[in-house]
Formats: sequence, C-alpha cells, structure tokens
Amino acid sequence: MRLIRELFRLQQKHGYLRDQDLTDVAGRLGVPLYRVEEIVSFYPHFRTSPPRKTEVAVCRDLSCFLREGAEYSANVRALLNGDDEVDVHEVSCLGRCEHAPTALVNGTPVGRVSPEELVHRARNTDRLPNVGLAQPHRWRIDYCGERGSRYSVYSDYRNRRDAGSAADEIVATLKETGLRGMGGAGFPTGLKWELVRKEAATPKYVICNADESEPGAFKDRVILEELPHLVIEGMCLASFVIGARKGFIYVRDEYEPEQRALKLALDDARSRGVLGDHFDIETFVSPGGYVMGEETALLQALEDRRGEPRNKPPYPGHKGLHGKPTLINNVETLALVPAILRNGAEWWQSQGVRGHAGLKFIGVSGHVENPGVFEIQLGTTIAELMDMAGGVSEGRSLKAFAPGGASSNFLPASKANVEIDFQSIADEGSMLGAAALVVIADGTDMIEVATNVTRFFRNESCGKCVPCRTGTEKVVTMLEDVLAGKGNGSLLDMLPDLEETLAETSICGLGQVALGPIASVLKYWGEEMNAHLVRSETP
Amino acid sequence: MNLPQESTQTVTLIIDGRTVSVPAGTTIWDAARQAGVEIPVLCHDPRLRPVGVCRMCVVDVGERVLAASCVREVAASMNVVTNSEKVQNCRRTLTELLLSDYPEISARERTTGDDLLIDLANKLQVDRDTIQLPSGNGRGTDSSSPVIAVDHSACILCDRCIRACDEVQHNDVIGRTGKGYGSRICFDFDVPMGASTCVSCGECAAVCPTGALVNRTLTTPIRPRADLRTIDSVCPYCGVGCATSYHIDTEANTIVFAEGRESPASESRLCVKGRYGFDYTKHPQRLTAPLIRREDAYPKGPLSSDVKGETKKRPGGLVDYDEVMPAFREATWDEALDLVASRLKAIKDESGPSTLAGFGSAKCSNEEAYLFQKLVRAVFGTNNVDHCTRLCHASSVAALLETIGSGAVTNVFADVRNADVALVTGSNTTANHPVAATFIKDAAASGTTLIVIDSRKTGIAQHADHFLHITPGSDVPLYNAMMHVIIEEDLVNHDYIRDFTEGFAELRALIDKYTPELAQGICGVPAATIREVARILGQANAAIIFWGMGISQHTHGTDNARCLISLALLTGNIGRPGTGLHPLRGQNNVQGASDAGLIPMVYPDYQSVASSEARKKFEDAWGVSLDPNPGLTVVEIIGGALAGEIKGMYMMGENPFLSDPNVNKVRKALSNLEFLCVQDIFLTETAEFADVILPAASFFEKDGTYTNSDRRVQVGQMALEAPGQARLDWQLVCEIATRMGYPMRYGSAEEVFAEFTSLAPSYAGLDYENLKPTGKLWPCPDPAHSDGKQLLFGDGFPTASGRGKFVPVDYQPAAELPDEEYPFILNTGRLLEHWHTGTMTRRSKALDAIQPEAHCQMNPEDLQDLGVGLNDYVKLSTRRGTITLKARPTNGVSRGNVFVPFHFREASANTLTNDALDPFGKIPEFKFCAVKVEKA
Repeated sequence: MRLIRELFRLQQKHGYLRDQDLTDVAGRLGVPLYRVEEIVSFYPHFRTSPPRKTEVAVCRDLSCFLREGAEYSANVRALLNGDDEVDVHEVSCLGRCEHAPTALVNGTPVGRVSPEELVHRARNTDRLPNVGLAQPHRWRIDYCGERGSRYSVYSDYRNRRDAGSAADEIVATLKETGLRGMGGAGFPTGLKWELVRKEAATPKYVICNADESEPGAFKDRVILEELPHLVIEGMCLASFVIGARKGFIYVRDEYEPEQRALKLALDDARSRGVLGDHFDIETFVSPGGYVMGEETALLQALEDRRGEPRNKPPYPGHKGLHGKPTLINNVETLALVPAILRNGAEWWQSQGVRGHAGLKFIGVSGHVENPGVFEIQLGTTIAELMDMAGGVSEGRSLKAFAPGGASSNFLPASKANVEIDFQSIADEGSMLGAAALVVIADGTDMIEVATNVTRFFRNESCGKCVPCRTGTEKVVTMLEDVLAGKGNGSLLDMLPDLEETLAETSICGLGQVALGPIASVLKYWGEEMNAHLVRSETP
Repeated sequence: MNLPQESTQTVTLIIDGRTVSVPAGTTIWDAARQAGVEIPVLCHDPRLRPVGVCRMCVVDVGERVLAASCVREVAASMNVVTNSEKVQNCRRTLTELLLSDYPEISARERTTGDDLLIDLANKLQVDRDTIQLPSGNGRGTDSSSPVIAVDHSACILCDRCIRACDEVQHNDVIGRTGKGYGSRICFDFDVPMGASTCVSCGECAAVCPTGALVNRTLTTPIRPRADLRTIDSVCPYCGVGCATSYHIDTEANTIVFAEGRESPASESRLCVKGRYGFDYTKHPQRLTAPLIRREDAYPKGPLSSDVKGETKKRPGGLVDYDEVMPAFREATWDEALDLVASRLKAIKDESGPSTLAGFGSAKCSNEEAYLFQKLVRAVFGTNNVDHCTRLCHASSVAALLETIGSGAVTNVFADVRNADVALVTGSNTTANHPVAATFIKDAAASGTTLIVIDSRKTGIAQHADHFLHITPGSDVPLYNAMMHVIIEEDLVNHDYIRDFTEGFAELRALIDKYTPELAQGICGVPAATIREVARILGQANAAIIFWGMGISQHTHGTDNARCLISLALLTGNIGRPGTGLHPLRGQNNVQGASDAGLIPMVYPDYQSVASSEARKKFEDAWGVSLDPNPGLTVVEIIGGALAGEIKGMYMMGENPFLSDPNVNKVRKALSNLEFLCVQDIFLTETAEFADVILPAASFFEKDGTYTNSDRRVQVGQMALEAPGQARLDWQLVCEIATRMGYPMRYGSAEEVFAEFTSLAPSYAGLDYENLKPTGKLWPCPDPAHSDGKQLLFGDGFPTASGRGKFVPVDYQPAAELPDEEYPFILNTGRLLEHWHTGTMTRRSKALDAIQPEAHCQMNPEDLQDLGVGLNDYVKLSTRRGTITLKARPTNGVSRGNVFVPFHFREASANTLTNDALDPFGKIPEFKFCAVKVEKA
C-alpha cells in the first residue's frame, strides 16, 4: 500500500509522476526500479507526462455506447478543436451508466449533459457544479430509519458475553438465508464467513470490494453513497465473526463523491465508538482497472503489485492479504447483512416472489426511459424490471438484454420473462453477475455491440496469462475487420476453439467470460454476422 | 530461513489412470513427472517458482475449468487427465495464439536451436503457416546490451527472465511494463537493457524458452548444442568456483558459448565474467612462442609508456605490442628453457639459494601450484615462494591459524540459507563473488537478517536489513564494541565458551573499555545502532560471518579478522548449520594454491617448514634436503629485489607490477633483478622486465583441479588446444627443474595430483574420477559416498589445546592517515566485470565493452566542490605516485573518500597504494592511504 499511496501523493502534488520522483520513491521505499515501473505502467490512474489544464474522460463502454457515446465523444472533440488546454480521452466504464453518455471533468462526474455543456464545463473548471447526490430513497434493507439506531445490530452482538456462540449464530443465520455474494460469482456468504472464521492463522482481514467496474453496473455506487453505514456495519459484523482487527474498503478511483460519503460515515462510526477499539477500517483508493474487482487482483494492488489475478487455490479466505486469511465481500453483500441479522432468516426469505428469497439491488441502463438502481424482490422478471425503469426508450421494442453487465451473455427479447435470480438466469445461458441489466432496443447492430464488449475485455485484460492477453486482442482485430468490411470466415472458424480455450484456461473470470458475449451474439443473431461478411465479400 | 519443510503426509491421486502417491504440497506437474507423465510447459522451469501464466500445462481435474498443473497442488483422490481432447485442443489454440505473433524465425532457432515454443508446436502438430489468426505488428528489438539480444516480438511473457533476475540472481532489474496485450518485459524504468542496472549475468537468456532473450555472438556464431562439443568444467575467475559447460567449435578451436551447470556451489548460476568472459583465450595478443630479450634491450626496464609511468590522458586499454615486442626475439623452447635453467642455476651457485625466489599463481591449478613450490623448495633450495594470497587473505589466514588452527572456511557460503543472521563485512560481494552473493541475497529475501558493514555502500548493502557505513579502518573498535554489548547484556554462549574456547577472560578485560559510545566516535556508527546490531548477532540461533578484502587488506588486517573470529566464538556460531566463518576467497584457486604449499612458511597442507618432522617428510618424498628457514613473502621479495638480495626470479602467471603496492618501487625492483623469467599467456606489464618469456597454455587449454572458497575441489577440463607453441604451465615447471638437474617427469596432471594428495592429508582419497562431476569438499574421508565435510569444528579445533582462542586486540589506526596535503582516503578494489590486473578481462570482448576505461569513484558532493563534472578527469596523488583518470560520482562512496579499481594499467591504482605491511599476515594496506585529489 505504501508504494501506491506514495505514487498517488506525488501525482496529486505535481500533476504527474516525474522521473526523479520515481527514482526517489524507489530509493526511499527500498524497492527496485522495475517494481515502480510495473505499477506506474499498469494502473491507468498514473501518468508520467504533465496533464493539460483540463482532462475530460468520456466513457466508451456498453451503456454509453448504446446511448451514442461514440458520437458524443466525437462531438466534444469537434467542439474543442484546437483547444490545447483540454485533453479528451475515452475511458472504460465510469460506473455512472444511468447518465449515459457520461464523462468526468478533472475527475468530477458530470451528469448527462450536452456536448456543448460539457465543453463549457471543461473550459470553466473553477466553477464546476457540485454533483448532486441521488435523491435519497427509502431502501428496505436500511433497517435503521433514523440515525440513532445505526450500528445497533453490531453493538448487540459485540456486547454479548458469549462472543463465540454469537458468531456461530451469525454464520448459522447467513447460511439459513442462502445469501450469496452479490459481486458476481455468487459464493454462499455464510459458508465463506465460516471458512475464514475457522482459519487458525492471524492476523485476519476483512475487505469490502467496492471496485465495481463492470460496464452497466452501478448499484454498489448507489449503496456506497446512500447506505455507507450498512456497508461499515456489515464489515464490523464480519470482523466480529472471523476475528479481524483491520478492514479495508477497496474503492474505485472514479467514485470520488462516494468516497466522500464513505469518509463521513467512517468518521461518524468512529465518533460513535463503533470503529476503533475492536476493529478499524481504512479506505484504499484503487489506481484503476476493471480486473481489480477480481478479488486476488485487488489483493495484489493492496500489496503494491500489478493487479494480476493469482492462481487459485489458495483462495483469499485461506491465504489472502499478505498471505493471511482474508474475507472479501462485495459492497451489497455486506450492506445486506445487518438487516438480515436484525430481521432474521425468515424475513429475508419472505422478501422474494415466485418462490425466490431475498432482495436484490440491480442497475438498469441502456435503452430504457428511466435508468437507475432498483431494489427488487428476487423473482421479479426482467420484463417487470424494465417496466419499473419506464420501458424501452423512445417507444422502441426490445431486441436483447444483458442481465449482468458486459460479461453476461446477451439474451433475446423472447427471454424477458426470466425471473431474476442466480439460477434462473444461469438456466437461460447467461448470468446475473454484477446485477446490471443492460437493455438493447431494436435497430441495434449486435455485432457492433459484441465488438464493443470484447474490446472492453481486451482493454482491461491484465496481460498475465496467454489466453486472455492474446485471445481478446485477436478476436477484437477480427471483429474490427468484419465491421470495416474486411472480414473473412476465420472468426467463425476460430471462435469455438478460442472461446473454449479462454473459458477453460484463463486464470481469472475476466478471460473466462471474455468471449461469452460474442458467442451469444453469434448464437442468437448469427445472421447479422453473415450480413457483415457478405458485405465484406462484395467489392 | 528456507529450512526444507518436512512433509509427513502423503496424498494419493490418479493421473491418467495411474495411481500416484506423493507428499502433500506437491504440484500436479511434479507428481505427473514422478509418475513418468510429461506435461508440456513454457513458463515453468523446476528451478523457478511456478507462476502458471502460459497455461500450456493445463489438465482436467474434473472442475468447472481446467487447472494449471504447475501451480495446482495435488489433492486426495483427485482424478487428473493430462491429455484429453479438450486439453490438447486448448494447448493447440494457445500455441497458435503465441505463434500468430511470433517472428518467422526466432533468434533462438537461429542460434542454439532449442526454441521451446517451436518444439511444442511441432509436438502438437501446429503448422505455423496455416494459422488463421491475425498476426501482430511486432513489439521491437533491443540490441543495447553487449551480451544479450532482446526481441520483444518473440517474448511470450512467461516471466521466466523476471524470476531468474529477481528471484534467482536477485539483481532486480526485469519486470513487466504496460498492461494487457501491450505488456512487455522491461528493464528498470523501461530503459534499453544496455542502459539499465542490468549486470549482464545472463541468467535471463539462460532461462528464456523462446527467442526473446538470447546470447550474442562473442567468437564464432552460436550454433545448436548438438553441433558443438561440450566440456564440463569450472569458471576460471573467482573463488566461488561455478560449475560450467563450455560449448566448443572444434574446427575453429574456440568456445562458442558458456552455460552454468548444476553444482552445490553455484546451482547453475553464473555471472557476467563466467558466462561471457571466456574469449580472452583467443585474443590475438596471446603469446605463442618463447621470447628472449634482445641484447640491445639492456639494461632492463619498462618498455611500454604506461609501465614507464608516462602519464597521459587517453581512454586507455591494452599494451601496445609494437612498443614492447621489438625488445624480444623468438627462440626455440630448448634455447629458452636452457637459458632459464642455466641462469637460475648460476645465480644459485654464485649467490646462494636464498637469492632466488618464485611467484606462483592462484589462477593456476593445484597441480601447478604443487609442482611450482616443489621446484622452488627442492630445486632452487629456498622457501622464497609465495603468490597473490599474500595480497588478499594472508591476514585472515594468519588469524584463523592462530585462533582455530585452520585457515580455511568452516562452512560453505550456500549454507547462509540456514542462517538467522548473516554478517557481510568488507566484502563487495555482488561484484567480487557474484554467485555467492546470490545465495546471500536469496537468504535475505527469505527471512535471514542481513547485516552489511562496509566503508562503501556496495550492491550487497542494497539487500541489507542493517547497513553500517563505517569510517575506513575502524573495524576493530566497532567489533570490540559489539562484543562489549554482547558480554554486557549477557548474550554470550556460556556453554560454548566453556567447552570450546580459551582466553575469554583476557578478551573480556580488553573489551571492557570499548563502549559503543567510544566506537561511535571512531567508526561513525551511532552507538544505538551498534547495540541493536550486536543484540541481533548475540540473539541469533545461527549466524554466519562473511568477509572480504575490506577486512584483510589493512596493516591491522589480522586484528580485524581476530575480532570476527572472537565474535563467532563468543556467540558459539561455528560448527552448526547456518553458522561459521567464511573469508570469501578471491581467485579461483587461491584456496588450492595455499593448500598446495605456495606459501613461504608451509609445505603442502600447511605443514610448517620450521617443523623438522614435516621437513623430514618432504625431504623423504622429494629426495633432497630442504631449507629449514621460512621464506620471504611477496612484498618482502620485491623489497629484496630492490635491495639486491633477491637476484633471480621465476614468475608463473603473476603480474606483480600491477598487483603489488607502490608500483614505482616495484618498477625499480623488477628492473634491478639479474634474471627474470615470466611465464604467462600474454605479455604482461611484469613481462616487460623479463629476460625470458615463456608462453603458457590458458585455463581452457589444460586439465587440473581447483579448490574454491568452500574447500570444494573441482576438475577443470581441457576445452581448447593451446595456440602456437604455448605449453602447459606444469610441464614447463618440470622442464626447468629437469634442466636444473632435478628430473621431474609426470605423464599427466592427474599423476601430479596423486603425488600431492599423498602428501596432503586433507586431500587424501580424492582423485579425478571421484571429483567429477561437481567436486568434493575437503576433507572427504569417504569420497565414494560423501560430498565431503561441509561443517568443520563442531567438536573443537585443530589447535594444541583443541580449543578456539580469543585473541583480544586494540585499535590501531591505518599506517598513513589523511593530512592537510593528502586530505582524502584512498581505497582500492575490483569491479564486477574485471579481474585483477585485467590481463584476461580486458581482452574479453564483452567485459571490455561494458567497462572499458579506468576511473575512480567519489562522492558527488566532493566532485562538485572540486569542480569536476561528468566525464572529467582527476589527478590522484599520494606520497608514492600520481595517476590521472576519469571520476564517476556515486553515493556509495562517503565524502572524503576515493575508490580506485586496480584493473587498469593506464592508471594503475597501485601507483598510489602504501606498501606498509600487516605484521602478522604481511599483507599490504591496499584499503587505506592518504591521497590528494585535483581536477586534471
């Protein structure tokens, strides 16, 4: 953490990392020069040349792409033509998909504004409007209606004399609910807590994975902003169960306003005495990159290394941060725990519909009227959720949807009645993943969509293992050739082998799923690929 | 500490239908290998920590996805399928992905031919020409390193080089830069390899499986191993004694490339000298015919301008043969040898045997050292025989013999891996014993607390937990203060002191006054740090002590070593794993040359010439009566030559003109000799003073044994034919002896070795057969079944009392302290790329390219004060002489200090050094004299 934090500090101070600063920091921290290079060149946050006065970062990924993000970006560039004080660059998903196409001006998010307004703000950075946080909702999981009762679940457990059986009760309750991790992989939460609780090695750590970066995903961001106290309480409960004294919230760089909300909540928790004596939490700001959401890549970053996922096993619960048992849970998972413990497993089970149990936060973006985050009952159908979001935008009809963001396979409109639940969606050949419903209206070129998504994985591949590093690049090149009218059949020939190889041999989930979306597009919309190839053959 | 973890649990699993039982923690890949199932890999090498990045080794274990077998540990009842259709299909696709970006013909295919990616493609029947994937645009090449060619397009990012550099050699240069498909390997801050901190050890190229990092051609173009002849041997340079394989183009009679070979001493590692410094043997300046000084080249004196001492500014370099060769004429062997024999005999007859002397060399074999001292003792009739051990560890040996009764190391350097604490002092280990340093660095990285104490902050200090930057020459007060703390805080090992030592009371009495505060005032290390480090040593379960010339080359060098020995005795750190005293030996055979009796006071195996019993033994063996008086040492012999007391000399492979202190004095002394015969592979600076020059075969052109710093006796095998008329050193010694009337006839070096071992009990039982392939540590009572005795003196010492003796010593300042006129302190030593007087290394293409010129190193602030800029010259003067050379700034040298490497004839450091001697070891004070620095 020392090295990355030091690099943050130096970049903050000088605007960029100067050669001499890098040499000095290596000497000061006693790390070889190459280690500094590895970090600086890997993480997108770091830069080694001076920035212009204003940096505009425009999102290029799925939800923004569907909302004409490419044209938006081009328009901004055209309007800025010749302005050497403003630098515009396209970046990976910013996690503000409800405002697509979305951008940052010097790190500050701007809502959905016209290209002209964006340019105006870029030229007047001293008067950037404060980002208004979302309208406060009343969330069902926020068991503490007024501030006074915050952290009462944790305090009750902490005050129990029989800490051992109290912790066992928590594990039992979580297991009874069948709660699964909400980060995407869906590992049973009670079991995970139990496994780390049983580990003998110390110290142990609790880490909240707040590195939400999946294109289309932004529900954790809203939880961080509106319910940070529940995230903190969830971590406290986890620390109580596993026996940790130290916790970290690994939060993405681009969630700057949310970091402020988090800080206020942490200060509040400390002033209430919730944090401090038994357990405390530090925030670690990610230097960037989608793959950092992969839990072992995240650990690598915390250990001042390139965010390259580790081979598993060992899993973090056994050997995590600094080789010690580490419980890593997603923001939403942690935020759900206090309400579950307050209200009991039965309450949780009663929250679902159609035989499903529990609640779910889900972000809805793309071609819908009212994109946003919804706290739904599990078992709600995709169609119902789309209705909550005002239906497909501009009265268009539904063509396709991705239920779990860019890494989930695309499903056709005919599947819109699928019930939202890990297993139900898996049964349809996709996944709930990061709970990011991306809606695609009729008239959208699915090959372009697939290219956008595959390009995202190519851009975000860490490069550690061969299949992901080279496979994503090759497929993107072949897809771009197809779109440019230069395609041949090799993609269709090679894709089954490539998809199998990436899925079977990549170290982490990124590579394993990277070619799933394009494969699903070819499965349901193969004729669109053929049309492109016919166009390629036509002189 | 890396103590091997004993695994008691066994796991049984099924691999391709076979039931296999292995210890828990074994990887599937290793388990399969044990079961005879080879799983293909690119990124894995059994010498390296597995990383599982190439994914070629995936196997089906019945899980959601395939598992990388090189990193996945076995589990009970796992059912592993290593080559299902899915697995094979994935491997083929991975290979196609890599080949789609691969150069048409890789550099490895063009050179050694062992490109593992291409081999794998052939095995999997992947046809490069029919791959349907788009090909990459190439990622560039880097030819900035003189020894390694980089082709990023052939890099598959297997990370082998990264692990070799950072985890095997611990040079910490190579990493990954960029991200995703744009990732590349990088050197430091992604600078060209040649501009990086790379020390050119070549480990990266040695482990690279593809054409990304390959060795560049040094002699004839590199060809596949199968087309070349391979000879297993050892490295000719330092005392580490790395095991090597030389790949030889027989037709061109040249080594094409060198590789490290498995051995306990080096674990297949090499440094830049060992891997790339072999081509000197083919240099056009090799001597190929006997030379006799022409009549008109008398009176004798220096010939080349550098040796004459004419100072001038120039980049420097080798001797100009046009300046020196006209003074000599070629002769036949008979004429030359007869002349040598008759002149030496005449001097002996006219002036007495004690006016003759011989310098052998620690670069020659045990056999040659043995025969050389036999010649001087039995034929010349004097004990005036010595060699460069006098200039390196004579004081260490004096102290060791005095205190523990044996001059050799008590433990091997690789055992640092079992030490809790390692103390490295007065040793620039990364430059002078680079492969031994890898073991120390590795231990430090694995938990051994490394304490480095030095007056310069050198490479090994970068790896230290505690670095004590001391004032030059202040070792004794520092170590006395550390012992003071250990005694005061009762961290001594009482049982050990009671059972195995003597003189503790005397030590305690003297140490009493050496408080850390007193020492702080002399050595400049804060008292609190002295206390902290003393406690770490005192509390260590196992501590090992390494030292180098920074300890020994002082007028108080013996005292310095006595302190280190006392420290080990005080804490009981001798004779157990992870403990010991290890003076790191400089030359490849300085241990062996000393063992063989190339020392004026002792016969082979340290049997004293003053002992009538020992003398009788050798008189009987050699059939002559021997001189009972110990002979003169190196510097005394040079002094004797100057005084006219030494009249005739025979030098085999020594170059005292550059290696001995006070060159201006040496010049006069060598000019003053009535007769000098120099036997060497090049016309050295010393040879300019010769009457006869005998061309010798080089290391690579002969068989012989060499004893490394660990006491490991290893066989060096003949790889090349000697050029022209050059002959083996030992045969020339025999010729001279025979022509002087003492017939010496041996059929082979092996026969000489047999005679030597029959007279040297420590070597008893060793022969060429049982020494292969990786040598034996002496003593080795059971060579058929044992590697020899690694740990010595666990149960007492070979002293009269059987105890180790504390020899308490007081602080003595250096012989010549800085003053107003000569305000700086001069320190001399070596560089990684060069060897001693540069005779070999400056004629090695790669080594010369990396480090081509004479320079000194100074603190940047001192240079700034003197107005000396980058690449400016400075003039260094002492009371003995002046040299002019470039100055390089480095923070490793403290203010007020100057460091001068002594390899460079055009600015010979020893022009400046002080020939004051340590009274016990007779070693000169190379590490300290007063010097003046001026901008030139």
